[in-house]
Amino acid sequence: MTPIAGSVALNLAFGCSILSIITLLIYNRTSDHRLFLTGQRLGLAVSFFVFIATFTLSYQLLISNFDIDYVARYTSFETPMIYKVSALWAGQSGSLLFWLFILSIFNTITIIQNQTRHHSLMPWVIIIMSATQAFFLILTNFITNPFEPTQAEFVVVNGNGLNPLLQNITMAIHPPVLYLGYVGFTVPFAFAFSALVNKDTGVLWVRSIRRWTLVTWLFLSIGIILGGWWAYQELGWGGYWAWDPVENASFMPWLTATAFLHSIIIQEKKDMLRIWNMILIVLTFSLCIFGTFLTRSGVMSSVHSFTESSLGPVFLSFVFIILLSSFGLMYTRIDDLRSPRKIESVTSREGGFLFNNLIFVVICFAVFWGTLFPVITEAITGDQISVGPPFFNQINIPIGLALLALTGIGPLLAWKGTSNRKLIQKFTLPTLLALLSALLFIIAKMTGYVVISFSLCVFVTVAILSEFVKGVRIRTGKFNESSIVALYKMISKNRSRYGGYIVHLGIVLMFIGFTGHAFDKEKEFGIKVGETEQVANYNFQLTRMYEQERSNHYAWITDLRVTNLSGDFITSLKPEKRVYFHKNPDINKRQPHSELDIFSTLNQDIYSIFSSVNNNNDTAFIKIMINPLVKWVWIGGYLLAFGTVIALWPRKD
Amino acid sequence: MNNKIYSLVIGVVSVILFWIGWVSLNPANKKAMAQFISVQNLINENVSKRTKLGGLVKNGSIEISELNQLECVFILKEGDAELAVNYNKTRPDLFKDGAEVIVTGEYLNGIFYADELQTKCASRYEGDLRNESNYNLEEIDI
Repeated sequence: MTPIAGSVALNLAFGCSILSIITLLIYNRTSDHRLFLTGQRLGLAVSFFVFIATFTLSYQLLISNFDIDYVARYTSFETPMIYKVSALWAGQSGSLLFWLFILSIFNTITIIQNQTRHHSLMPWVIIIMSATQAFFLILTNFITNPFEPTQAEFVVVNGNGLNPLLQNITMAIHPPVLYLGYVGFTVPFAFAFSALVNKDTGVLWVRSIRRWTLVTWLFLSIGIILGGWWAYQELGWGGYWAWDPVENASFMPWLTATAFLHSIIIQEKKDMLRIWNMILIVLTFSLCIFGTFLTRSGVMSSVHSFTESSLGPVFLSFVFIILLSSFGLMYTRIDDLRSPRKIESVTSREGGFLFNNLIFVVICFAVFWGTLFPVITEAITGDQISVGPPFFNQINIPIGLALLALTGIGPLLAWKGTSNRKLIQKFTLPTLLALLSALLFIIAKMTGYVVISFSLCVFVTVAILSEFVKGVRIRTGKFNESSIVALYKMISKNRSRYGGYIVHLGIVLMFIGFTGHAFDKEKEFGIKVGETEQVANYNFQLTRMYEQERSNHYAWITDLRVTNLSGDFITSLKPEKRVYFHKNPDINKRQPHSELDIFSTLNQDIYSIFSSVNNNNDTAFIKIMINPLVKWVWIGGYLLAFGTVIALWPRKD
Repeated sequence: MNNKIYSLVIGVVSVILFWIGWVSLNPANKKAMAQFISVQNLINENVSKRTKLGGLVKNGSIEISELNQLECVFILKEGDAELAVNYNKTRPDLFKDGAEVIVTGEYLNGIFYADELQTKCASRYEGDLRNESNYNLEEIDI
């Protein structure tokens, strides 16, 4: 009965979404306000039925109703409660329903928030959002229904359980946060499309979505960082970013969205870059859908891909419709989109923003090019060429460093233009300190990109901190405040500006972490109890190896005593080799899993993986990686989130 | 935008696009690109450059070195074609008989020396349903 209720709710939601679109289209012709209200309520009804379907599936996952195929495939009686909840987005059909669920929350918020505002924009905003919901409802109703009953030739007394790799708290959080980012861009896109239809592409739509875009961008940023954190903690290859197509799929909209966030400041303050902003938001939304296409179509060989399915062409068609309708509409509105003012100087803040935007978009193009390079080369030459991380690194490191430089240059430039005297005054200290630090790094035998990256980090940090110092000095002199009070008041009176600077400092810290990758060291070795192996400046002694049977897996556990070369104790590491589903008589159904242990400091991480065990001669095979400065990537991520929250924090007035 | 800025924008974009094109044709690292090829073609054409192969691990073919458990040899099966693969690094957790794998490396004297080994992963975990009625817990041995 319950699965039917879920399916019926999805059917009703689809019906309401189509009715909502039709009603609002008629309203646009007749201006009968009753039709607008009806369309609006039908929009809310779509969300209501999607909520019912989502809660139904969640409940079935919690009570382990293995009559539903999805529940039987992704949970079992042994699955801990939290992972029964996260199983909602562990599989294809569930994750699509979850996507729809988030979209419905956003749809509800947008409709309620704008009941008395933006009357001219809202009909088309609801139409676009309902159309996006209808698209996902087609998928969940007709292509991959999460309420499909189980079809097996035996009684399913227990489910498969959740993949052990996904039984990690970060992995439980990462997809929803990423989805909040992906799905959230539907709202600014809907407002942009509505502004185009209404020939009202000035500052109104930009003002109405700026905060929303920032929140969405924050979720997307956190989602990407959490994905890296999960890969680092759980996958056992010692890295956090592999330029995998699915990682790239989340990075590309982040790049265009970051460019958009910068350029809408120009439109809001100067009414410039109207066309550019339209292009950026259309690209961002299209890339969000395109990312889903990459994940689900099977067109790319990715470690993340879901099973190949018929969803690919459907997603690609949707992306095609979005691009065609948006750019077609832009073409017909070209006169309205022409900004009344133009950028006058390269050394203006607008100029800085423009170049920062260009670099974001070019990096996005480079990632897009690299991701689709195998498809492109196959189409041209017939050969399938696979592209690895060195390709992306070679292309993106110099462009990324140029972007890092602009992170420091931009805030020092004045609106309209910066005089030569001001340029010298503002750039002298950061440039001198960057050059001095470059000299020190060279003396410390660093070379190439490492020197450039660290020096640019110094440049940007000094440039941004000098802005804080300047602001505090002005306030202490003018209002006779203490430095702390002046700093607090300065930030609270201009939160978006100083929040943005803090985000830039977070990016600097992340670049420090990325650069640390140049110093990585690793060694794989076999070791018996009592033996010691040296890796870099540390000795690793295997003091113990023992076995344990736990509720849902069997584990071999090593105890590695880590000392420095002087013999001082550093830490004890306990990497494990586990076998999940160890009671399954079919050995191929058991799943080995390496549980890492990491000793993390600000200076470096000591990363240990228990690769395998030879029970015949009691040898453990261990991989040790020394990864310098990784922690700064995560600290930078915290600072980025903190800065964004400051920028978002509402003012009292 | 005045002409000076317009020229600068065009210049910057051109330089970066040239850079992307140049790296695409001349990658500095040999691991940057690999040609995807079928096992049969690799054997027939004796391709010696860096290649990528996909297939299944032949059941019962995995041989792990007694002395160095990191080193293993297995048979990669793609259709009827079979090829011995040597891999000397930490193996992915899902590597086992019958697993679908992608290997990257070079072919030399009848053996494919792989330096990358990928298996199906987390989100592709969509196997058959568990039939617990088949279990006989007393006979199970790890």
